[in-house]
Amino acid sequence: MPLLDVKHLQTRFYTGEGVVHAVNDVSFHVNDQETVGIVGESGSGKSMTMLSVMRLIPQPPGKITQGEVMFEGQDLLQLSLPAIRRLRGNRISMIFQDPMTSLNPVLTVEKQLTESIRVHMKLDKVAARDRAIELLEHVGIPAARDRIRNYPHQFSGGMRQRVMIAMGLACDPKLLIADEPTTALDVTIQAQIVELVKRLKEELNMAVIWITHDLSLLASLADRILVMYAGQIVESAPLDQLYANPRHPYTLGLLQSIPRLDEAQKAELKPVDGMPPDLMDYPQGCPFAARCPYVIDRCHTEDPTLEPVSDRPNHAVACWVKPNGAAVLETARAIAH
Amino acid sequence: MTRYILKRILSGIFTIWVTTIAVTLLIHLVPGDPVQIMFAQSQSTTPEQIEQIRSQLGLDRPIYEQYFMYMGRILQGDFGTTIRGNQPVLELLLVRLPNTLALALSALLITMLVGVPIGFFAAYKRGTWLDTSLMTGAIIGISIPSFWLGLMLMYVFSIRLGWLPVSGTDFKNLILPAVTLGLANAAAVSRLTRSSMLDVLSQDYMRTARAKGLAETLVLSRHALRNGLINVVNMLGLQFTYMMGGAIVVENVFAWNGIGRLAIQSIFQRDYPTIQGFILIFATVVVVVSIVLDILYVWIDPRIKYS
Amino acid sequence: MTQPVATLSNTSIAAAKVKDFGQFLKRLLKSPSAKMGGSICLVLVVTAIFAPVIAPHDPTELGVGAALTPPNSEFWFGTDEFGRDLFSRMVYGSRLTLYVGLIAVGISMTVGVLTGLVAGYVGGWVETALMRAVDVLFSFTETLIALAAVAVLGPSLTNAMIAVGISSIPFYARITYGAVLVEKNKEYFKAAQAVGAQHVRLLFRHILPNILSPIIVVATVGVSVAVLSASALSFLGLGAQPPSPEWGAMLAAGRDYFKRAPWITTFPGLAIAITVLGFNLLGDALREALDPQQRT
Repeated sequence: MPLLDVKHLQTRFYTGEGVVHAVNDVSFHVNDQETVGIVGESGSGKSMTMLSVMRLIPQPPGKITQGEVMFEGQDLLQLSLPAIRRLRGNRISMIFQDPMTSLNPVLTVEKQLTESIRVHMKLDKVAARDRAIELLEHVGIPAARDRIRNYPHQFSGGMRQRVMIAMGLACDPKLLIADEPTTALDVTIQAQIVELVKRLKEELNMAVIWITHDLSLLASLADRILVMYAGQIVESAPLDQLYANPRHPYTLGLLQSIPRLDEAQKAELKPVDGMPPDLMDYPQGCPFAARCPYVIDRCHTEDPTLEPVSDRPNHAVACWVKPNGAAVLETARAIAH
Repeated sequence: MTRYILKRILSGIFTIWVTTIAVTLLIHLVPGDPVQIMFAQSQSTTPEQIEQIRSQLGLDRPIYEQYFMYMGRILQGDFGTTIRGNQPVLELLLVRLPNTLALALSALLITMLVGVPIGFFAAYKRGTWLDTSLMTGAIIGISIPSFWLGLMLMYVFSIRLGWLPVSGTDFKNLILPAVTLGLANAAAVSRLTRSSMLDVLSQDYMRTARAKGLAETLVLSRHALRNGLINVVNMLGLQFTYMMGGAIVVENVFAWNGIGRLAIQSIFQRDYPTIQGFILIFATVVVVVSIVLDILYVWIDPRIKYS
Repeated sequence: MTQPVATLSNTSIAAAKVKDFGQFLKRLLKSPSAKMGGSICLVLVVTAIFAPVIAPHDPTELGVGAALTPPNSEFWFGTDEFGRDLFSRMVYGSRLTLYVGLIAVGISMTVGVLTGLVAGYVGGWVETALMRAVDVLFSFTETLIALAAVAVLGPSLTNAMIAVGISSIPFYARITYGAVLVEKNKEYFKAAQAVGAQHVRLLFRHILPNILSPIIVVATVGVSVAVLSASALSFLGLGAQPPSPEWGAMLAAGRDYFKRAPWITTFPGLAIAITVLGFNLLGDALREALDPQQRT
């Protein structure tokens, strides 16, 4: 049984201007101790999906209109508020993009770290403080005993994200959801944070869901990748499989836009042309049709569902065409040389 | 932090210095002969007396000399004497200043106690009927003239119900003026608090707090309220300034014996030394209190305190 | 030869404006505050224009009814201590209110916007000096500035109007100054500057139209502030003098008969409050319609 099993999740935002189709019939699972990457442009629904899983979407205007989120044998969407609060920050943790704004500027790190420890682990003030110092040391913050009294703005960006991670790990979660935790950081710090999470994942035996818009970041990190577009999962495959033979035109586009180190000079950066569809005016047919170089008539009328690629049970794609990605990438490489 | 406070104090001193210049120039901006105008109402002034007053006020000398004379005198605590009655201006003002301060500060307290919770609940219940009705009340509130509100309260509580005196100088007499001034500003404060709380409630750290599994009451009291209250303290300085301005009007409604009432009387009598003294004292009080409140703000906001 | 650049940028802005304007009007007409505020202002304007038709009596005629008659079917708002018809006085008073509000805002807007424009556009020591002065005026509060101005000019309705106008100058100067700084860094402005447009042209053809919307919002709310301040001055005796039917002055005159004839103070106060409410509602609605992101 997977650790997390999401089925047909659907989230809508009801605004004055119209209904936003933020998450559309999303199904996926995460196994125990597995690392799953979710990749997509901003606005593709990747954060909204995970916020829906945590039941953290602002309500109103947001509403989870459909679906099932099974975690450790219970449906999170059916739980009472106190029950879901007992899981948040305890069995499932979430860390966010910008640690500057995601940490409360007027509370000390100690206060922010110990509050979930005290609530979930029922420790007293002194014990919670010791645990917090231990956590800070664990995520690599020097002089943790002193720094714990500081406020967030007294830390550097990378250190702040380490504090955020320490908060996420406070109660030994089974699942850590990382929502673009490195986007606000510069490249060298990014690599450090990725390494840190990899190390902690091994030590703590937890599963990780890593949300990012940067496919290359997942190369050393993820076991499996989900590609999201316009609130849908359009492709799902093990890491190697996805890199070697993507079958969705959008994934293919993303892969072609990554400059590879070995061909950096002449790398022809080819981002996917066009804009994602307006989620308030959801298109009929495949949402990617308007930008797709492989589009056929059927794409404009029927929306493809996520289906396994014939011979690969772990590889699924939502596309009528399913271009041969391996061949396309090979040709592109040949031209570049 | 020390740098910020120093800068704040320096700009305060600058403001007061500009005020002294403005006050010296004030009398020269009067269309016509100020001394003639001052005595227009009294019939028994001879030309000799007028000339005597003129030289007493230094109006027969060059402006820069007048300025240094005036500065020299106020630095020694001599603000001149009233035109009629020859009473020392500073003494008149200082006797009444505590009354004005008592009114402004108690009104400030009422403003905050009423306005802040209303703004907080409206923000928390954003978009609901509670929010709509509270904010409709607030916009009506900011539209009501304080002097009329004062008269209406006086009519109900003093004349009809007889609970409170119409006017006088003891503590009981402070209630109606303070409530009038406080309520008149509470509406504006509730609007400010609401928008500041909406900002706080939409911050990322609120989501982080919820993601930790904290109960909603804890999320609100520890994460939202604390940040919101820091913003509230930040607007205290400006609100106090409004209270001082509003006090001038309200003192006259309730015949409360503060510097505002004295100021209006001296404008009627064209008593320029008193008007000058009033402006100086008023500006100084506003500047000093604002600086104190700003320092309080800096002290409670760790973002500035540790930077 | 360089002309097309400037023309091009002009037309694209104009096109964007027209499109925005349709949206703006749609949002404005949907807003209940705009409807309410707009109706109040409309009633006020109509009353002011047709005052002689609407008012049943001469506003200054003594003894049209018995002194201190309570409101009845003939004297809707009652009569004052001289037997003048309060309703007629209030109808005529609406003229003074509108007049004071518009002139005062006109003064503060003209001087304030010019100050802000020049400070933001010229920069350097001019900017420093002007904005320092504005800061100092700001810390004095409007009430003190208005009182000082009346102290200098002497009590009268015209002087009160000027005093109120002066007291709000810093407000407009700050708004304009901030907006100019934003516009100055935009592409269209740099393009116009690059093709060597004249200073006056840059200021009035390029910057001013682009900062108009925040100024309109401030000016609308400004009318309500001006009406409040001017009526306060009249109430204190520093503005309109009896027998003027100015609402603040009427209210002050009624104080002496407060116990016996509360209607003399009630109706003018209500009228001031409703007028101010109208402009406040309209200002709020304009702000929301012009800047929907700000809406909460």
